[in-house]
Parts: sequence; C-alpha cells; structure tokens
Amino acid sequence: MITIQEQQLLFVDIGNKLPKKMTAYAIGGTAMMFLGIKDTTLDIDLVFMNDKDRLVFNETAKSLGFREMDSRVVYKTKDNTPEMLKLGEVRFDLFLPKVITSSFSEKMQERAKQIHEFGNLIIKIADVHDLIIMKAVTGREKDDIDIERIIKDSKIDWEILIEESQNQINLGNERALMDIGYTFEKIEKRKEIEIPKNFSDKIWKLFNKQIRDKSKKLK
Amino acid sequence: MIHLTMENVLIDNHKISPIDLAIKLRGLATIAIIQERLGIDRARAIYLVYKLRKEGFVKTSYERDRMRVYRISPLNALGGISYIDILNKYAPVGLATSEIYEIYGRIPSIEETLVYAITQKNVRYYIACLALFRQVRDWSKLYQLAKEKGIVREVAALYDISRLVVPKVRKMPKRFKNLAAPKKTDKYKSLVKGFSSDSFQEIEKKWKIYIPLNYIDLMDYRGVHT
Repeated sequence: MITIQEQQLLFVDIGNKLPKKMTAYAIGGTAMMFLGIKDTTLDIDLVFMNDKDRLVFNETAKSLGFREMDSRVVYKTKDNTPEMLKLGEVRFDLFLPKVITSSFSEKMQERAKQIHEFGNLIIKIADVHDLIIMKAVTGREKDDIDIERIIKDSKIDWEILIEESQNQINLGNERALMDIGYTFEKIEKRKEIEIPKNFSDKIWKLFNKQIRDKSKKLK
Repeated sequence: MIHLTMENVLIDNHKISPIDLAIKLRGLATIAIIQERLGIDRARAIYLVYKLRKEGFVKTSYERDRMRVYRISPLNALGGISYIDILNKYAPVGLATSEIYEIYGRIPSIEETLVYAITQKNVRYYIACLALFRQVRDWSKLYQLAKEKGIVREVAALYDISRLVVPKVRKMPKRFKNLAAPKKTDKYKSLVKGFSSDSFQEIEKKWKIYIPLNYIDLMDYRGVHT
C-alpha cells in the first residue's frame, strides 16, 4: 500500500530525474487518490501515449532502484498487460493506451482535466466516468466496490458512460457493453447506490442492437 | 451530534478520521456551509476547520469583506502550488476556478505563470495577469517562454495595458520590445476571437493584436487611467 504523500514524493524524485518532459495519465486507484476518493492504493497505474516515453520512465525508475517484475504474476495471460516495476511495497503498472480489455481513448484523454506537475513528469488524472468504464470491464469484485465509491462521491453524467461504452466497442472491445451492463446489474442488486433505470435499459438496448448487427453481418 | 477526540471526530456516533472528514467536506466551504452540512454549531465548525488545517487539508482565502473561504481537499496536504495560486496572490480580484493544475517540488516563476495565463485564452485570466507584469524580473526568460508558445506579441500588448492600469510597472527592455515588434507581413491576431477594444486601439495597432478589454473591465486596478 502506498499513501498519497508517499506517492507524491516518489513522483517528485522520478520527475526530477527524467531527462525530458513527458505526460502520463493516472488511472485506477492512483487517479482515485488524486480525486480524493481513496487514501491508499496497491499499485500506481499510469498510461503512456507511446512506447518511447514509457521506456524513458522505466529506465529512470530503474536508476532509482526499481526492479522489473513479470506481469504474468498479476495479469496471468491477459492481453495488453503493463510493464511492471517494483521497489519494496511500491509497484508501478505502466500501460500503453490499450489497458487489458479497454482502450484509453482520445475522448478519455480530453476529459482528463486535472493536471499535476512533478518536475518533468506531468500527470493527468483520468476523469471519474472513465475510471468507472475501465473498472466496469474488469469483472473484479474490488472494482465494483470502487465504482460504488466513485458514484457516491462524484456527480455522474450517465450519458458520458453510455457514449464511452459505445466508443470502447468501436475501439475493439466488443464485450464492453455486456461487461458494463453486467457489472451495473450486480451493483444494483447490492442496493448500496441507486443507478438510473434508463441507464441500464439503454446499455442493454445497445447491447441487443450490437448482437443484431453482428448476426446480420454473419448472414 | 459531533464529539471531538484528539485524532478522530465523531459524527452521529461514527468515528471519522480527518482524511475522511476532508473527503466529506471536499470543495469550497465557509463556516456556515460546514455547519449546514454537518448539522453542528459555529464553534464546532471552527474547531473542525482547525483540525483539518492542522493536517494540511485546508487552504484559506478571503473575500472582499474579509470573510474566510476554505478550499478543503486531502490533496492540499501534498503542498502543491498552482498557477492560479500565484495569479491570485497578485491580482486585485482572484480567479475562482474548478481547474486543477498543481505543481510539486518547485515554485513556478512569475514569467512562467504569465505565459500560462495568456495561453488560457480567457478574459478573466488576461485581466488577472496584468498585475504580474509588475513582478517580472527576467525578461529574457519571459521572451523565451512566450516565443515557445508563439505569444510574444500578446505579451507585449498586455504589458502596454498593464503600464496604463497597474501602478509601478517597470519598463520593458528595448531588446524585448524590438524582438516582439510585428513585421509588415504579420497579420492581426485576436486574444479572444471576435472581440476588440474601444479603449486600447493604439495598442492594438502597435502590436497587431485585437484586445478584448476596455478600461471599464479593469476598474479593480488602481492605475493612472482607472
């Protein structure tokens, strides 16, 4: 576990050592900490827009003592796994725009409005809606709890969630609508938070349309 | 009902840590807002702010009538500083914005803040940044940063306005002026598309920049013309 203060010191150390300015997007628990929704996280999840920047970050972190770790330990045989670095209890998961099953889309980049600058390292914080989308497609129970927390603590525009779910399909995650619909069904059943009925209806309607379109194509 | 202990606060018989309280009260608040949100009396609300400040979760600013406005966030404990903090330190009327751009491990310079404010392409930022010209010391750095962003003429035009409305603004070095001067082939640029000035037409002509400001917009400055 790493606290926000420890995380900040680490970013300052790395940012001061980076040889050039670069931007990375914070997702997952790291983003939730910056948004004030969580106070500790297991790992620091960053998304880089290109391999070159990720490599430079990786090298810089290694020069500070971080060691590479095999991503299969955590992510098994999944696609689009991150490069992982570890030092003591701190772990970096360094992704490219494809994050396991989801894509960190251009719209998501535009919505990341909160910026934190640590020397040469500029960290943009993923928007709450995009954190929900990325967490909803993982199928992990701890992510469902995080989604509940985000919805409780933030103002949600449900239309953005619907738009981005469709966008994810266009970007190649064909399961997006199904996974999101299923996750919200589970959350609804727990009755910790209220989900607007027309949101779930719209998601399932879009999913049915996706199936129909696909079967037409196959014929 | 709220009871206070040294570490935690009790709200409706639930113990709550200062960080959770900061999350609960996140955003802009006054003592009255905190009283309302937690259903407590004024003295308790003041004590809670004291506790949160001790943990570094509170940034205080003042309204014109000296009323205190608190920005509460767990992130305040990180000690970052934003361009807005610097602008608000010098501008006669502070900017209230939901935008977050925090910088850690260093304090951004006046020159950098000025360039940042101008690149926001927002009238409120233009008005606020005029006060910064009084603090500029490193003109060559300002030129270099402005050139990188392609806003050298914009800086020069706003400087000329600040000389009119902000007292004690130092003279711009001749070198900056010469380098910033528009060429014959340069076209007019707009600070805000579709807006020009009635009060600063000479400056607009000099730098080939349309300025979206008039004297009336700058009444909060106590300069020669305002």
